[in-house]
Amino acid sequence: MINFNNQIASQRGKFQAFPFHLVEQSPWPLATSFTLLTMALGAVAYFQGFPFGGELLLLGFVLTASVMILWFKDIVIERTYLGDHTSQVQSGISLGFILFVLSEVMAFLSVFWAFFHSSLAPTIEIGGTWPPVGIESVDAFAIPLLNTILLLSSGAFVTWGHHALIKGDRFGAIVGTFITIILALIFTGLQAFEYMEAPFSFADSVFGTVFYASTGLHGLHVIVGTIFLTVAFIRIVQYHYTDSHHAGFESAILYWHFVDVVWIFLYIFVYVWAS
Amino acid sequence: MSADAKAQEQPVKRVLQTVGFDARFPNQNQTKHCFQSYIDYHKCINAKGEDFAPCKQFSRAYKSLCPNDWISRFDEQREAGTFPASLEP
Repeated sequence: MINFNNQIASQRGKFQAFPFHLVEQSPWPLATSFTLLTMALGAVAYFQGFPFGGELLLLGFVLTASVMILWFKDIVIERTYLGDHTSQVQSGISLGFILFVLSEVMAFLSVFWAFFHSSLAPTIEIGGTWPPVGIESVDAFAIPLLNTILLLSSGAFVTWGHHALIKGDRFGAIVGTFITIILALIFTGLQAFEYMEAPFSFADSVFGTVFYASTGLHGLHVIVGTIFLTVAFIRIVQYHYTDSHHAGFESAILYWHFVDVVWIFLYIFVYVWAS
Repeated sequence: MSADAKAQEQPVKRVLQTVGFDARFPNQNQTKHCFQSYIDYHKCINAKGEDFAPCKQFSRAYKSLCPNDWISRFDEQREAGTFPASLEP
């Protein structure tokens, strides 16, 4: 089957005079807009205390995740079995993903802005100090330092996996990516433990709000990045990637490094400087 | 004319002035000047007693700078033990 598909890809120029992928009709864009509306309405209903708001939010989340899985499944089929992703298409996808990461940078910039607004000139309502009077912050040199080491080494392991894939070393690609995912899962587990043990809550002054908003948004990105790397891992195992055609894996790597860099800033400013 | 009547006729001298410049609070926003003066006054009277005259300087400062509802809120917080600063001398 692989050889057959490689033949389609190599013969493509003989029946298509351009390198672009003309997409066919798909139900997923419209379905996504409905599921996102359900999730947004569910979130509003839940936050405002309407009956079954939480259930509607959960339904919207499950439906959105389902449609994403179905849509991405179609894309994987188009790329792997139909050979639609020419090198032109790959560079378009990669550029699109870089722009997406840029928009994520801006999202985190706004959260950091909120943090510095609240912490650089603390208001008199919280005693004019940061952390506020009565707030005991977490020890930056305990679990957060371990988490920093975990994330930095996971970045090194994903580089091993990437270069092994380029060199055609299947073992290195699989093991490197697998260890990256394990380190990511340990990080998420330790963050969950830290949240459970923390002596302050989301509602404890602007400190609690800005702490959980920033580290929580980062934690959600770690979870998404872990799923992204897991999909890439499964596709390595399934022989989807070649040494030169693995834009999905490279996007996952870029995303993972982005999450890593955000953590470095969080660690320096929210954990070390602000405690 | 008795001495008492003479004293009554003399106008009582009142000084109307706002708080002066303090180099610790050089900004137009004087919120922290108000807050710090409130803290300093209460530290002062906790150390020296309400009748200690030099403390008056701090009370004049915060009464000049703080809006009245802030002062009553600070007073309520102080009584409830939730004022966000130490007032121990």
